Amino acid sequence: MNNLLSTAAQRFYFRHPWQLILAIMGIALGVAVYVGVSLANDSARRAFEWSSQLVLGRTTHQLVNAGGMLPESIYYDLRTRGIIPNAAPVIDEELRLASQPRRRFTLLGVDPLKETLFRGTTRSIPGESASPAALMVEPASVIVPESLANELRLENGSTLNVIAKGKMARVIVAGTLKGMGLDPNGSSGLILADISTSQELLNLEGFISRIDLVLTPTEAENLQLLKPAGTTLLTATSGNAAFNELSRAFRINLTALSLLALMVGVFLIYATMSFSIVQRRPTIGVLRALGVQRRELLLNVFREATVLGLIATLAGLALGHQLGQRLVELVLRTLGDLYFGSYVTAISPAIGIYWKGALLGLGATLLAALAPAMTAANTIPTVAMSRAALERGAKEKGLLAALVALPAATIASMVLLLGPENLIVAFVGLFFVLVTGALLTPLATVGLMKFAEPFVEKFFGISGSLAVRGVTSSLSRTGVAIAALTVAIATVIGIGIMIASFRASLVNWLDDTLIADLYLQSDVQVEERGPFTEARLLAIQDLPSVEGLSLSRLRRLQTPDGELNLRAMSPGPNGWGLSFVTGNAEEAISMLESQQGVLVSEPFAFRRAVTKGDLLNLPTPNGIQTFSILGVIRDYYTDGGSVTISLDTYRRYWEDSGLTGVGIYFAASALNRNIQPAVESIMGSETRFRLLSNGTIKTRSLTIFDRTFQITEVLRILASLVAFLGILNALTSLQLERTREIATLRALGASPRQVSMLGFVQTGLLGLAAGLIAIPLGTVLAALLVFVINERSFGWSMDFVTQAKPMLLGLALAVVTALLAGLYPAVRAGRLNIITHLREE
Amino acid sequence: MDIDTPPIHLLQVCKAYGKTSVIEEANFHAKRGEFVVIVGRSGSGKSTLLNLIGGLDRPDSGKVLVLGQSLATLDERNLSQLRRVHLGFVFQFFNLIPTLTVAENIRLPLALNGLSKKDSILRTKALLEELFLTDFEKRFPEELSGGEQQRVAIARALVHEPAIVLADEPTGNLDLETATNVLELLNDACRQRKATLVMATHSHEMVGHADRVLTIRNGCLKDIKI
Repeated sequence: MNNLLSTAAQRFYFRHPWQLILAIMGIALGVAVYVGVSLANDSARRAFEWSSQLVLGRTTHQLVNAGGMLPESIYYDLRTRGIIPNAAPVIDEELRLASQPRRRFTLLGVDPLKETLFRGTTRSIPGESASPAALMVEPASVIVPESLANELRLENGSTLNVIAKGKMARVIVAGTLKGMGLDPNGSSGLILADISTSQELLNLEGFISRIDLVLTPTEAENLQLLKPAGTTLLTATSGNAAFNELSRAFRINLTALSLLALMVGVFLIYATMSFSIVQRRPTIGVLRALGVQRRELLLNVFREATVLGLIATLAGLALGHQLGQRLVELVLRTLGDLYFGSYVTAISPAIGIYWKGALLGLGATLLAALAPAMTAANTIPTVAMSRAALERGAKEKGLLAALVALPAATIASMVLLLGPENLIVAFVGLFFVLVTGALLTPLATVGLMKFAEPFVEKFFGISGSLAVRGVTSSLSRTGVAIAALTVAIATVIGIGIMIASFRASLVNWLDDTLIADLYLQSDVQVEERGPFTEARLLAIQDLPSVEGLSLSRLRRLQTPDGELNLRAMSPGPNGWGLSFVTGNAEEAISMLESQQGVLVSEPFAFRRAVTKGDLLNLPTPNGIQTFSILGVIRDYYTDGGSVTISLDTYRRYWEDSGLTGVGIYFAASALNRNIQPAVESIMGSETRFRLLSNGTIKTRSLTIFDRTFQITEVLRILASLVAFLGILNALTSLQLERTREIATLRALGASPRQVSMLGFVQTGLLGLAAGLIAIPLGTVLAALLVFVINERSFGWSMDFVTQAKPMLLGLALAVVTALLAGLYPAVRAGRLNIITHLREE
Repeated sequence: MDIDTPPIHLLQVCKAYGKTSVIEEANFHAKRGEFVVIVGRSGSGKSTLLNLIGGLDRPDSGKVLVLGQSLATLDERNLSQLRRVHLGFVFQFFNLIPTLTVAENIRLPLALNGLSKKDSILRTKALLEELFLTDFEKRFPEELSGGEQQRVAIARALVHEPAIVLADEPTGNLDLETATNVLELLNDACRQRKATLVMATHSHEMVGHADRVLTIRNGCLKDIKI
């Protein structure tokens, strides 16, 4: 009997090959999305850890000078006094290629003799001739990433022209670093050099960036007491803590998106499997009437689902692997763009993800198949054979689902309103919101169809009524697919509104802050005046079209809580160009000008849990200074957090007259605004600077923004694709199942075009219902993403912009998806063999 | 159509499925308002003959003329048009649309013919009364018995006043008493409307009601009662 049951199941799929293909594709895609995104995430995480490990190695602490570079004498002094037995001086600065000045590298100057103790670089240098010690033999020698050597065809002994601190220099390649691939936008890489070579290149004789230390807790405590004034002892991880936190938030967001895609995928698996079982309900009823036991039926379904699940899961794993390869590039590029800007490179992924994906695919398939099989097996055979009973049951289930939505909505509200302000908790709340939406979908569809019927009938006559009724009467087949489509479209709308809100807020912020007409930016971090000498600034100021200048100094400060960006500003004729979130703007600016405090950016306030009125300790060359926080400003530029201070205050405490940026303001009456040649002439050809119009900066900022959200777009497309497959499966099966009805209509005189149109109207209505339900659900989702997820992830607040475009696009996507999915069944309906199907049940 | 033109005229019609010949050189014509019963065993080709007359299938050779028009000259669109306007079908398994109510099922051919909703409702109501279906007007097919469903199917076949009604084993799914009632209803309704009724059946119970009885055996169509 078992064999016969298996044969019957096999033949069902052989007779419905399209359904077999769709089932396999559906499950495979669900698995692939999860595996692909997880692989990309894992790869990015491990890549960062690996890169971090390469730079930090076994380092437990770092001694830095809060004010800038550390005098090398401090290192020798502490060593001589025996306070730091395991220590290594390090130079960590930026280096660019002369041939491609926009490509940034990190020049890591090390003591080659201490490398074995501190870092893993030794293991990463292949070949006997090129060890870190080789750097000591040849002056100006460096070890470059293997990929760079391959790209520029560099061999040991080759020369390479570089730009260090704005000056050209020539270095000699002494070896290559294994596995340090450039990230896709080509801006990363680590170049290793001897510390003295680094000092020469950077003109930093007598200075180092930091001292790397391997300390026991007692030694650390001791050093804390004995360290020279102006220096700060950091734990090795604290500098990366903010980056870790950011990349973690980014990855959680990605994971959440992948889980969202997975949720739609599970819906699809459920829809696919339950559909194939629901279709065979009459057969199951007959088998039960013939005496087949429930257990036997369930075992049979279990076997069938296992085989199907295995095949599809394997296909999904292969597809997910490929997807992961593509996604990891996007993830790394985004992480590189946003957070690290350095040496993050792809790493081979963990095998565990494949196991998880396999378990998920198989588990979801089995669960999805068993639920409807149990219902059918537990039903009285005559009822199981009746389609009408099934549809009545589906309507009851729709009502029940709507009732279950109430507790789901309550859980969502409680988690979001009363739960801890934690990102994962927020995602749990979001998940329950989506579940609520999915549960309400069948009932909402029935309601919408009732409402739509008179209108549709007016346009399409009784065929319209047929189409409308077709939607509601086939909920047992279409309910899950509509819910899946609704969730997918709601996700598309939600993310669309969130991105539109974010983009609009960014544009507003750029308009508010980029108030100069031209910006001169130094290519290097400078301690001295740099390229912006007094004489040059005066010359620019004297240009006929120029009304005034704003000055800025941007520098990174190492603090025990991590690195921060300090932005010192002297405003131009149009004011400060700040966008306040907290605090009275006029009052705060007045106090800022009178050197009474600082402003902090939103992400900074979020991460450090500070707000207006709090005190902030900042390291200066003369020790820690405490500043009052005057207000919180919006800042999308540095998500790690920034502190804004007046240039006068900065110069007073940091004793640094350097400038990194100058804003040029045109006079309102200026006729000649093409002053670029004049400015370039004033700056001279020997200095390295960039001159950009505010329009260029805005365009570039928005380009980076759009690139950042590329991965989100990819996931949105994947979620839509999964939903499309689900709806295609459901509609194809549905239309093929209704062949007798269609044949009857044809016999009554309906033309092929009319029955095709009927199918189209029905599928279009189905898509319309999903799209309409998705609009409020997507808007709620967007509100959660804007007000909860983004704030908890990055600390950014933004304006909630309810544009019609994402909603209409979502609606159009739902209708087009459904219409596309209905295309084949509708065409097939028109070509139906009437005679064959008139008699078929 | 000329008044003397037979509504149905088959000339040397042959039909085979693969190597199996189902109908061989069938010649037959039916007059206006005539009730023709085609009897034969299951699989003898009765349904095929009805399908050929209804334009649901095409003969391998020979001519099928319906209301004087050769079906071979009609494309799919015109065949649909012919069925919609001039033919009515009654099936063994009723083939009602499950998502439409009784009244809507009956109204369907009128709607397909483009009659206004108001007029089609009026005509439907009249037919509901005639066929004793008024109480079931708003019910769905699944809520009716087999006999009731077939009465609805008859109403659907007659509502647009077709010239020809083709009934394929209309009582094959009903008990004898119900079958007799249904048959009488169908016969009376067709006669009132002067519609030609061609009914295929394997049962000889209906023979007494017919004007003509044809038998089909081994593909050959023969008149057995005139």
